[in-house]
Amino acid sequence: MTQWARPLGHLTTGRLSSVPLTPRERFGLLVIDEPQDRVPILPLITAHAAHAAGVSLRDYYTDGQQMARAQLFTQERYGTDFISLFSEVGIVAEALGTQFTYPEDDLPILNRPKWLKLGQLDDYVVNPERDGRLRVYLDAARHAYEARGDTVPILAYIPAPFTTAQQLVDGETFLIGLVAEPEKVRALLDYATRSVIRFARAVIDASALPILVDPLASGSVISAQHYQGFALPSEQAVIKFLHRYDLDVVLHICGDTTAILELMAASGADLLSVDQIDLATAVRQVGNRCRLIGNLDTTTLWLASAAEVSQLVERMVSIGKANPKGYVAATGCEVPIATPAENITAFVKTAAAAGKNPDWPLGSFEKSGLKAGRG
Amino acid sequence: MSRTGQTGPYTDPEPRRITFDEWGELFQKIPDELIEQFHYFPPNREPWSAYLFPPQTFAIYGCRHLRRLKFDNSLAALRLWGFVQNETERLFRARQTGRRVIATMGDLGAIPVIVNSFPDCLAFYPDCIWWTPFVMESSVLLDTATKLGVGEMTCFSRAALGAFAKQAYFPAPDLVIAATGASCDDYSGIEQLVADLVPEVLWVEIPFRCEARNRTPADRTYAHQLLVAEYQRVVARLELLTGHRLTAAELQAGISRANRVRRMVTRLRELAYGLGVLPALEMMVIEFGNLHYYSDIDEWTTILAHLVATAEARARAGQRLHPVDAVRLIWVTPPADPLLLCYVEDEGGRVVGTEYVINQALVPIAEHRPGLEAIAESFMAASLIGSTRERIAAVFQQAIEHQAEGVIVSGILGGSHCAMESRLITDYVQQELGLPVLEFDVAPPGPELDRQTTTRIDAFLELVRSRRTG
Repeated sequence: MTQWARPLGHLTTGRLSSVPLTPRERFGLLVIDEPQDRVPILPLITAHAAHAAGVSLRDYYTDGQQMARAQLFTQERYGTDFISLFSEVGIVAEALGTQFTYPEDDLPILNRPKWLKLGQLDDYVVNPERDGRLRVYLDAARHAYEARGDTVPILAYIPAPFTTAQQLVDGETFLIGLVAEPEKVRALLDYATRSVIRFARAVIDASALPILVDPLASGSVISAQHYQGFALPSEQAVIKFLHRYDLDVVLHICGDTTAILELMAASGADLLSVDQIDLATAVRQVGNRCRLIGNLDTTTLWLASAAEVSQLVERMVSIGKANPKGYVAATGCEVPIATPAENITAFVKTAAAAGKNPDWPLGSFEKSGLKAGRG
Repeated sequence: MSRTGQTGPYTDPEPRRITFDEWGELFQKIPDELIEQFHYFPPNREPWSAYLFPPQTFAIYGCRHLRRLKFDNSLAALRLWGFVQNETERLFRARQTGRRVIATMGDLGAIPVIVNSFPDCLAFYPDCIWWTPFVMESSVLLDTATKLGVGEMTCFSRAALGAFAKQAYFPAPDLVIAATGASCDDYSGIEQLVADLVPEVLWVEIPFRCEARNRTPADRTYAHQLLVAEYQRVVARLELLTGHRLTAAELQAGISRANRVRRMVTRLRELAYGLGVLPALEMMVIEFGNLHYYSDIDEWTTILAHLVATAEARARAGQRLHPVDAVRLIWVTPPADPLLLCYVEDEGGRVVGTEYVINQALVPIAEHRPGLEAIAESFMAASLIGSTRERIAAVFQQAIEHQAEGVIVSGILGGSHCAMESRLITDYVQQELGLPVLEFDVAPPGPELDRQTTTRIDAFLELVRSRRTG
């Protein structure tokens, strides 16, 4: 008992403020509707991680170990609350047969879609350990999880069926098909959905949390009617699968999604990641149903000064943290590769300060109404 | 479909211990209707209360060790794991839905019977957080405890202090009831530090049972009366907290519920340790469920019924999980690292008895006596509050009953009582039973067992096997 020789009372509630939560603890509280010490912070750092860690882009998206190394480096450097495994949205399409080229210092470029026309389906479902670069993501997830999985959530971005399908055929043909050959588009979406789900399962097995990304379903690309008729049902199918595992599902759609915000909430996603929309509107419209992630403009993050970034982040967080179901301070889309480090640092520091919970720590103890003292 | 074990179109495969990846495959065969079937806090059916999820789910949320364990492949075991793994969420949901959440510390089994007799009250043991660093392969909670003044000199139970400080592993309790006296001395120290983090601790004295010193029956009566008086203070404080006066009928109902759990766990021990129809890892989880029912006695009871049905079906069918020549072992002191149990079974061992210092949670509580007296009487059987010799007697009894061939004592690094007791238990077992004993301290949390420990386990099992022929 000698190790307790110090007089009792040396611990005070004030000292608990020196016991910060880990990102995993923070996220864990968010998803069960509990207050956190501060809002979680998620600038969507993807390929920028390669730039920051001195890894070539081609190595980043073709070598899982390099992707993990870059992500671990940036998570630690900036003090963000997540690791975001992602390079681009073509990976499932590529695994199904679409061809990409791999520039040394740029992201993969779609070279030739699997089909030029609609209506040319086969029975194939991807093998995530073997096809295309899916294995890169799985390796990255495994490495990152081994390194930091106890303290930081590992997110792996999975392109949604609509975005994947659009890269399996000629893009223009696909968009015209929404009007001219809707049944063939739906069949293609079913085809893509099977492989997206198969990949999602592999991501789950690798202990990463899948994030569904559907940028080509954005209101900047298609109408709300087409979103509802085509993209949404396939998103719902994937989300239903993820809910079999009780996962907290993030749906990310870039661009202007104002017109489809209610529909996005109807997808069943637990967290909506939004981009070029008014955050206060999103809070009003879906804040009672969904946690929100967003949404600093990424061009601003890239080109503005650190001081300007801080100002905008502070305003954004003040709006977002009022969301009834919870909020994650984030960028609206991917952090541009060449974004200055000081701007990202400004984002994180400001979000942490502005997102601090004034009742933390021990707010709930005090609110319990019990009188201090021994029984 | 029954809530206790009838599972419609789904049928368990041949019993086997399976890996994390194999559960990933098997889970694909679980129909959606089954996932939607099971919820905690019955009859609640809120989506957040579903729990039939595979180890993959909990690994994603940080339970990294799950990827290295082996699990029973029954649906009942999947229920068990899903339920146990989401206890943190359940405690927060309890608070969100208006239940009183009471932290009980140190007595390991008695006070939750009282707490759970109150309407809308549930008890949990922060003590059990000691597994979290191992399950997550994480030093976060232990480091936090160190930062708050309790370092490696103290056992892994210091993780509870870290958890109180973090406020992310359970909600701020409405009340903390801490047992001290004849409890673990390390943990008493932890409790004292916790007292400085919370508004109120209700201290409860638990007496030492001292048969070894030839105390008289009057001494035992005094100890019993002391316990009853302490439990009366617990009731009074809970009545003040809840504004509800506990009736004798409510307490009797609480005791009946606890007894039902204890009877089923006793039956599972018979089946698992006698016939080898459940793995040692699941059995440890089951035995510890006796302490506080993983914060939901109603659902825990149905899970136990499902497990009993599964184990009995296996027994009837002659299905066994271990080879017939598996080395029969008694395990003394719960292993903080669950991987140890898996490793021993992988290497050909089979646990046929345990002395996890929680036998007080297994003893039936007399239902014909006044409630608090009966709870106290039951608690007086605790190995926790007796001499080491009495723990040894429990080991002897099980060793003889199940023809054990060896004893494993897994001590706790820094646990001051373990250092003394482990040596004594080892000496007595060797001298009086003539059984080989392997005694080691469990290494700190990590992805793998340390090589020295596995080498010693390998050598120990080889030694025991060599005695069969020699």
